[in-house]
Amino acid sequence: MILTEERLQDLLDKSLAELPPDTEWAVTLEGSIAEGFGNPSSDIDFLLVSRRADDLPTMPSLLFVDGRRVEIRTRSVRQLAEQFREVERSAGRPAGISEDLLNRCQRVLHSHPLRGHALVEEVKALLPGERFRRITAHWWAHRARQSLRHALALQCLGESDEAVDWTRAALVQSVKSWAADLGETYLEPKWLSMQLDRAGRTDVRDRYWELESAAVPPGDAGAAHFHLTACLDFAEDLGLTDLPRRPERLTVARVAGVTTWQTGERVHVVRGRRDVFALGADAGGVWRSLVLGRPLPRVLADSAVTGVTDPGRIVAAFLRHGLVRLAWKGGGTVTPALPLAAPPGHVTPPPSTLQPLLSVGGAAVTGSRAVDLMPLPADRFAAAAMALVWSNVVVENAVEDLTGALRRGQHRVAELTARRAVHAALRGLFSAHGVNPLPADTDLVRRMELLPEGTVPIGVRARELLARGVRSAEDGDALRAELRRFIALVRGAVGADSFPLSFDSAYTWRATLQLGHDWLRMGAHLGAELPIEEARDLLAGNGAQPHPAR
Amino acid sequence: MSDQTPSGPTVPEPRTPEPRIPDPRTPDPKVPELKTPDPKPLDPGTRERLTVLVTGASGFVGTEVTARLTAAGHTVLAVLHHNGDLVRNNGRGLAPGPGTLTRIAGDVTRPGLGLSGDDRRLAADADRIVHCAAVTDFGLPGGRYERVNVEGTRHVLGLALAGRTPLVHVSTAYVCGERDGIAYEDELEVGQRPGNDYEKSKLAAETLVRKAAADGLPVTVVRPSIVTGATRTGRVRDLKTVYPVLRVLTRGLLRTVPGHLDAVLDLAPVDRVADLVTEAATRFEDAEGRTLHAVGHELTLRDMSDVLAEYPSFHVPRFVPPSAFSARALPGRERPYYDRVVSLYAPYFRRRVRFDATRAGAFGHRPPAKGAHAYLRRLLDHCLATGYLGPPPRKGPHAARPDGSTHR
Repeated sequence: MILTEERLQDLLDKSLAELPPDTEWAVTLEGSIAEGFGNPSSDIDFLLVSRRADDLPTMPSLLFVDGRRVEIRTRSVRQLAEQFREVERSAGRPAGISEDLLNRCQRVLHSHPLRGHALVEEVKALLPGERFRRITAHWWAHRARQSLRHALALQCLGESDEAVDWTRAALVQSVKSWAADLGETYLEPKWLSMQLDRAGRTDVRDRYWELESAAVPPGDAGAAHFHLTACLDFAEDLGLTDLPRRPERLTVARVAGVTTWQTGERVHVVRGRRDVFALGADAGGVWRSLVLGRPLPRVLADSAVTGVTDPGRIVAAFLRHGLVRLAWKGGGTVTPALPLAAPPGHVTPPPSTLQPLLSVGGAAVTGSRAVDLMPLPADRFAAAAMALVWSNVVVENAVEDLTGALRRGQHRVAELTARRAVHAALRGLFSAHGVNPLPADTDLVRRMELLPEGTVPIGVRARELLARGVRSAEDGDALRAELRRFIALVRGAVGADSFPLSFDSAYTWRATLQLGHDWLRMGAHLGAELPIEEARDLLAGNGAQPHPAR
Repeated sequence: MSDQTPSGPTVPEPRTPEPRIPDPRTPDPKVPELKTPDPKPLDPGTRERLTVLVTGASGFVGTEVTARLTAAGHTVLAVLHHNGDLVRNNGRGLAPGPGTLTRIAGDVTRPGLGLSGDDRRLAADADRIVHCAAVTDFGLPGGRYERVNVEGTRHVLGLALAGRTPLVHVSTAYVCGERDGIAYEDELEVGQRPGNDYEKSKLAAETLVRKAAADGLPVTVVRPSIVTGATRTGRVRDLKTVYPVLRVLTRGLLRTVPGHLDAVLDLAPVDRVADLVTEAATRFEDAEGRTLHAVGHELTLRDMSDVLAEYPSFHVPRFVPPSAFSARALPGRERPYYDRVVSLYAPYFRRRVRFDATRAGAFGHRPPAKGAHAYLRRLLDHCLATGYLGPPPRKGPHAARPDGSTHR
């Protein structure tokens, strides 16, 4: 140890003097210094052990004694025994043992008693060292396997640089497993070099460092493959079993709560009933080619049939975003984790900033390979889309009504109908920008501030139109013409394919209804709010065109 | 209906007194008169070895019933139209035992099932008849249903009445016809309109059975709903009924389907159906006079839509109200799939019917475990694994396999 017994006892005395007098403690030194590692700046970690029945706090007391940082933890014998039991219980399934729990046990078992030696040794005897070595070795081996499987998958997917990083993680985990089996169970990789020196196998040590420092040029899939193979060989020589040699055992599997909804040509994928991802054409094609449960190579071969370049990288994005998962045949979900880190989990990208966000045919995307996260939750996304479809219907309906009213000289009716058309157009505009729920109709023009600056002229025009009266046939004809121009203005702002649809034929009317049904299907799944009950009637009831095609 | 709700029918308490198959007031002149005085004595339970004549013994349900009967030590006289192997739902040949299996060449469309003299004598000694034979494909000429399902049942009744042999008749829950609400086991003719010629023929057949019962024939009717894959594996031998529809829809060959999102399909795992039919035969004394619904998992079209959406490669059809649907408006490439496949099942997409299975429950047929969504997933997963659903399986080696081989 880098500190003498006297020095340690002195530090302990000084440390205890700073704590309120309490129970009679047994004291043991944990951590890197107790393990024979450490340096002058290493912390001093004292563990105080008591036979008290009550639970002792987990948080350590932090002290600074003679310029050293001292951490003092307290545990009862019962708490320590429970830690050991928990590790024993999960020994058969290493994925269930947390790194923190394993670390706590390791530190106690490899600690250096300073006071109350008998109690400390009594505690250590609760989990025999040989047993703990095996458990730790299995734990590291499990992690190495997961990292290697992930690295193999990434290589298949064409993400060789990422694969190299995971191969290196697996290299550490493999050699840590081997070292643990020899008794070097200290968890943190920080002192790995000293552990390898101490293990007394220079051949292993040298081969490890050779692989660890091997240069793998970025983007060089061949070199990455060679490196992975070399690391697998090394792991196998170290005694690790069930290593991923064949990618056929990797399958692309379903993630609960992920669903696919296509409207028009746009593929939307909903994650956990909450996040909507809009896929560009290439990404959508690759997504559609996925047959879950099939081996990864076959999935990739199937995706290659789409003609999309580097489809594997798109599949890799699906994996990162948690839209699919990888499973190892007979080994469950592949859950890679870097050494002493939790599994990274799903990545949630920043939400799309595209505006307008929506058309009746689906969400806007940033490119053909895009997997864009929508900036509003799934139920409101679906509700906005349905409101957009519905506003199209209402605009057209209102314009028809306006025409009819003007023919019969019903000026007041024409006035109100024109306002209805303006409001409906504004609702479409707001919905296309993802605003949901919508403001009240009377507030729509006031809430134009919610929309991008480019829509200001629309707000101005809307105010004018809403203030317009109809006193004569000429007024009415002029209003109708201006209303058409206003609708064209909205159309210009949200895209020609978005708003309004042309209902000048039975075909376009039917196409609108079909898009409405597509959105309704997704909305029903998500329990989204329908724009108004009439929409349900239209989409789920009569479904007939309210006006004959011109 | 979702996974969270009980998947068995939610029905009121059984109506009392518990009805048996009712006596019709007017006997059917076509049903042969009783020739023998007394019915065969009923066996007190399954421990006694029975001889059971099974029609349609090579069929989807019939094979499973035959397997169960022989496994329980009974003798099965399997009436077979074709001299082929009996293949179980798991794809393996039926290995009878410890009971015995005797094959009998027969044809339900012929009087006396066309049995030879020897076979007729064998059949006369049967303790039970289980009538599984039927055509269940949709879209066949009407005469075929009449010949096999109606006339076939008439011929089986003739055989049963000749020896007063207790009969288990396999009908369909969809004799309820086109209706919404709850269909009860003791109902038969309630003025319903059959959804298609198949349902019409099964209704006519069951009516014949009831009339024979009124004439003193001991009868039990088992009514399966849509018979689908095995409960635990989803495996299915016969890809009929709902399967071709799923294939057309999930491949996007037809995108628009007339139907209500709250229409209910009842999918009955073949093992559950076979269990109940077998039980009805072997515990006939408990089942006699009853009609039992052999139903399974209720799935609304919305449930189906939600589960299909979990499969990236599947297309989820849009269900539009039947009143708004126009086959003529379908794109030309979709129209044949509608006309030849989906239109045959149109009644199933608009019927909001649930099947009361109180009598079956009282007989001891437990309701299916919860998890209609999970069951549908098993069916779909099995079909994906076999290549029936999803893109067609690739032929030959994977030419462009990104192998990533890491062998030394």
